[in-house]
Formats: sequence, structure tokens, C-alpha cells
Amino acid sequence: MTLAVDTPAVLLLAPLALLPALVLPFAAADHPSLTEVPPDRVSLAVDAGLRLVAVVALASLVLALAGLHRLAGSVEREGRGAEIVLLLDRSASMDNSFAGRRPGGDEESKSAAARRLLLQFLERRPHDRIGVAAFSTAPMPVLPVTDHHEALRAAVHAIDRPGLAHTDVGRGLALAFSMAEGATPGSAPAVVLVSDGAAVIDRRVQDALRDAAARTPVHLYWLYLRTQGSRGIFGEPQQPGEDTPQAMPERHLHRFLGTLGIPYRAFEATGALAVETAIEAIATLETRPIRYREPVPRRDLAGPAYATAAAGVLLLLLAKLAERRPRRAARP
Amino acid sequence: MTAGPPRDLRLWLLVAAMLALLAALAGPTAAVSRPAYDLLLVVDITGSMNARDGTVNGRPASRLDAARAALRTLVARLPCGSRAGLGVFTERRSFLLFEPVETCANFAPIDGAIAALHWRMAWEGDSRIASGVDSALALAQELGASLVFLTDGHEAPPLPASGPPAFDAEAGAVSGILVGVGGTVPVPIPRFDDRGREIGFVRAEDVPHESRVGPPPADASGRPGWHPRNAPWGAVPEAGTEHLTEVRESHLRDLAQRTGLGYALLTGVDALEAAVRDTAAVRPIAAAVDLRPVPAAGALLALLALYGVVPLMERRRRSRRHAPRRSPTA
Repeated sequence: MTLAVDTPAVLLLAPLALLPALVLPFAAADHPSLTEVPPDRVSLAVDAGLRLVAVVALASLVLALAGLHRLAGSVEREGRGAEIVLLLDRSASMDNSFAGRRPGGDEESKSAAARRLLLQFLERRPHDRIGVAAFSTAPMPVLPVTDHHEALRAAVHAIDRPGLAHTDVGRGLALAFSMAEGATPGSAPAVVLVSDGAAVIDRRVQDALRDAAARTPVHLYWLYLRTQGSRGIFGEPQQPGEDTPQAMPERHLHRFLGTLGIPYRAFEATGALAVETAIEAIATLETRPIRYREPVPRRDLAGPAYATAAAGVLLLLLAKLAERRPRRAARP
Repeated sequence: MTAGPPRDLRLWLLVAAMLALLAALAGPTAAVSRPAYDLLLVVDITGSMNARDGTVNGRPASRLDAARAALRTLVARLPCGSRAGLGVFTERRSFLLFEPVETCANFAPIDGAIAALHWRMAWEGDSRIASGVDSALALAQELGASLVFLTDGHEAPPLPASGPPAFDAEAGAVSGILVGVGGTVPVPIPRFDDRGREIGFVRAEDVPHESRVGPPPADASGRPGWHPRNAPWGAVPEAGTEHLTEVRESHLRDLAQRTGLGYALLTGVDALEAAVRDTAAVRPIAAAVDLRPVPAAGALLALLALYGVVPLMERRRRSRRHAPRRSPTA
């Protein structure tokens, strides 16, 4: 717990709080000498007590005026969750429906479905630390790994805007791996690739991905939004000679990701319901004990300080009212 | 009649302090309205933004670095309750990275996202700024935000003789500002290979210096080798300086005027902040101001009078009463 004040300059008044140690708020009696009065413990205690009460009241008043508060901070807690990097496809085909055409009527585009389900995913996992990256023709870091879910929701909200041309999944993965590298040491981060297609991965990028996978052991998930008519991840070649990365990029990307030597699972979804099932499966798999920091807001302590001062002044006032007026000698 | 007996003065001071403290404990507040801004920050990440005529902390830096540094400070300075979203511009489109979010609570991710802006996010080399501003305006209008668009105004390829394309957005429908980034002296543009390594500068023969789209300019008939059908732009390739770049202020002013946006040159964060506050739409948010210090200060004064001033006054009076009258010394 750290205490702080808003306007430290007010604390310059603090020494004045010692004044009551020297003076009492009672009228001086015209009495020749105190030595005439027998020492009395109760009187001494009342004297010291009233001085102390006044010092405390003044000191808390000065602190309250300076704006005493407990600093906002965070406490570390343990919960269940994961560190995840979402790698989202923002190519133009994501704007089509699962049937592969412009969404019309009550149809939902693939990106809108992904957005809706990812928002649900975020809502259910408030303690996850998540980073967002997008890829299309070029990989784009969107948000660094963070636990600010408001910002994450804003990034997921942005994915159903019109996309760009291509699907450079290789460089996108390289970016996601490098973002996962910055995650908390010891936590095994997960990379969730959401895309509706694949592309041939450049051999240099393949090597870079193998290196990255060896360096950062991430858990990799590929949520493949399959459009009607496309062969998909698990499609078998129909004719000999068709089994090339150019003709069947999804199948070959799947095979390549399987050779990275990291835990990898692919989900093929042909509709919003299947996407939901896949996201649930990922959510169940990626739940581990995780340490997260919960923010503690600033707490105003001026109120209690004012109350202390008021209580002190109330005591002084009672003492004052109990004061007996010294008899005065008639003025000459 | 003498002034009230001292006992009463002390009592009244204590009563005054007590009442003032009770007033403070009641927790009086006043409602005031503070300005907050909803901004969509769009940064030009095209090749010309790599030209090194920007400054960051007094050191030379690329325009993109200067834009990033300015935006990070700007977001940090926005009043709490403001929201900021981020987008990038290249080719002919502005691409939204995330929608506006509150800047104080989410400062770390916003700051991280701005810091991660890089020319390698660009998906194409073109820089059709007029179209980019147009799509950014559409985004900002949809999000209900004011636009802050940072660019150097360098159109690549150059605009046709007929000028920039017409804007879809209605002028003035979205408030905001175009911010010119870069120096006013032409400098070369660094060139990179496909692995991101710098390989020299863009040369004059690498870029078109004139748009061959649309009708040729009016003065084309005077060019050497001009022929109305076979060489309507003249037969000699146009020599130009499109491989060099400076901030094209006149073009940006023209765009700003067409779209109803403001224009400012990025000279420093203070100037940028002032320009944004001038042009962006203000969303007033109600805030409560704590008024407790007012009665509490009164209580403090009463107590200090009680413990400081009254005893001093009394001592002076007593010393005046008791001290033997001194004869003035000669």
C-alpha cells in the first residue's frame, strides 16, 4: 500500500500542527504560580490528551487538504487462463459468406461471424492476456499482448471492415510467433490463426518459422473457415499431380504446420456453429493456471482524514464547553 | 465595551472549525463539464514516410518515427475519457487496426500499437493520399470520431492533370485535421529490398514523374515531339523530382479545404495538441469537482487562529499590561 498526496506544497503547513503541543485552547487564569497547585495525574493526562487530540486533528486536516490517497496499483492473483496471440485474416474473401458470395439477407460474412464469436470468447476469458495481429498482403501487428480487454474488443470489432487483397499466411505466422516470444516467460503461449484460406509459404519464411517454433514453443491452433466448394485442410487430391502447394495450399500448410514440432491442432469450420465449437475446444484446451495482475483503483483517504479531524475538534469543543471560566479580579 | 472576552473568541473559533468540518464531511461537489475527444489516428506508412527529415527529441529521424513519437505523446496528453482508434494508410485506403477506446485506461496497448507501426505493414507501394483521406473520412464518420491524418502529402504516382478525384464524403461532415509530416527541403527516399534491408535511395528513373491518366495537361501541345494521337504528352520523357520528397503543403491544404478538415504542419507535440484541440469535435463529459477543501481550509484557518493568533495576541496584551513602562532613552 503506497500513500501519496496530490498537492505536496500543502504539507509545508504540517509543522503548524505542532502548535497545540505548546498552547491549550483555554483562557489563561490569572494565577500567581502553578507550584501552588498540587500535582494531579488526571489533570496532567487530560492536558496531554487534549494537546495530542489537537495535534492529530490539525495534522489530519493538513493531510486531507493535501489530497491524501492510496495510489492505484495492482495485485497479483492466480486464476485460470492463457496467453494467446490471435492472428486474424483480413483478406477480402473474409468479407464473403461461408457460401462464398456477398452476404445477403440474414447471411453473415465470415469476418462478421469470426468477430461475433471472438467477442464471446473474450467475454468468457477475462483473465487472458491476448495480443492481436492481422495479416493479408502484409502482416500487421495490431495490439501487443495485453490484458486490457476493452482495447482487445476494439481490435476484434475492427475485423469486419473490408479486407485487403492477399493471404500471406507465412509472414503473418512469423509475426505472431515473434509476438508470442514477448509473452511472460514460463507461460506457454498459444497462437490462434483464424483464416479462410492459405497460401504457398516462401521457403525462407518456412525456415524462419521452423527457427521461431524451436525458439518459442507455442501451442498452435488453426481455425480454418472453409468456404463451400473449397477442398479444405483434409481434402484428398483427386488427380495425380494435383498434390502441390499451389493447387492445394490449405492441405500443404496443414502438413507444414504439423512438422513444426510444436503442439498443433486444426479445426475446419463450415459455418458459424462449427466455428463456435472450435473456439470452445480451444478455450478448454488453453486453460492453465495463470498469474495475472488485477488493478486496484486509487482510494481517496481525505474523507477518513476529515472525519478524524472532525472527531478531534468535537472533543476539543466538549472540553472547551466544560471549561470553567476563571474568576477575574475586578479591573482597577 | 472591550472586544469580547477571550474565552468566547476561542469558543467561537472552535465552533466555526467544527461547523466547517461538518460541511466538508457532507462531501460537497460541483459538476463541471470537461472536454474529451474521440479521435481516429491514421498514419501514412508509404515509402516516402521513410525519408529522414523528421525530428524526434531534436535528433534526425524518419518521418514515420516523428509521426509515431508525436502521436504517442498526444495520446498521453489527451484528457481522460477521450478515445483513440488507430489506422494505417497506404495504397489508396485507410485500414482500421482498432476502433476508438478510452485512452487513460488503455494507454499501454494503444501506446504499444502506435510504437509497432512500421512501413512493412504497407500492403502496396502506391500512395494515393486523396483516396486514403476519403476512406479515412468514411471510417471516422462511421465511428463517430474526428480524424487525425498524418501524412507527407506525397502522391505516388502523381495526380493526373485533372487534379485529385472527387471526394465521396461530404465536406465538413467529419471534423479533424490533416497533419503534414516532414521537412520543406526535397530529400531522397530510402529504398528497401524484400527482406527489409536498406539498399540505397529511390532514383529518378524508378518512379513516374507525371500521370498519364486522363486528358493531357493543356500545355502539352508545346512539348517536343507532341502529336495529338501518338504522343499526346510529348515524346520526351518528363524529367521530374518525384524521386525526392518534401512535405507537399499546398496539396494538403487543398485537400483540407476540399474535405473541411484543418491543416497543420507537424512542428512539435505542443502545436499538434493545440491544433487537434482546435479542430476535433469536443465531447463534453461531466466531472465532479471535490469542493471539500473549501470548508476544510476554513476549519484549518479557524484552528490556526485558535492555536496561533489568539495566544500571540493575548501574550502581547498581557506583556503590555504587565511590563513596566520604559522611559524613552535619549
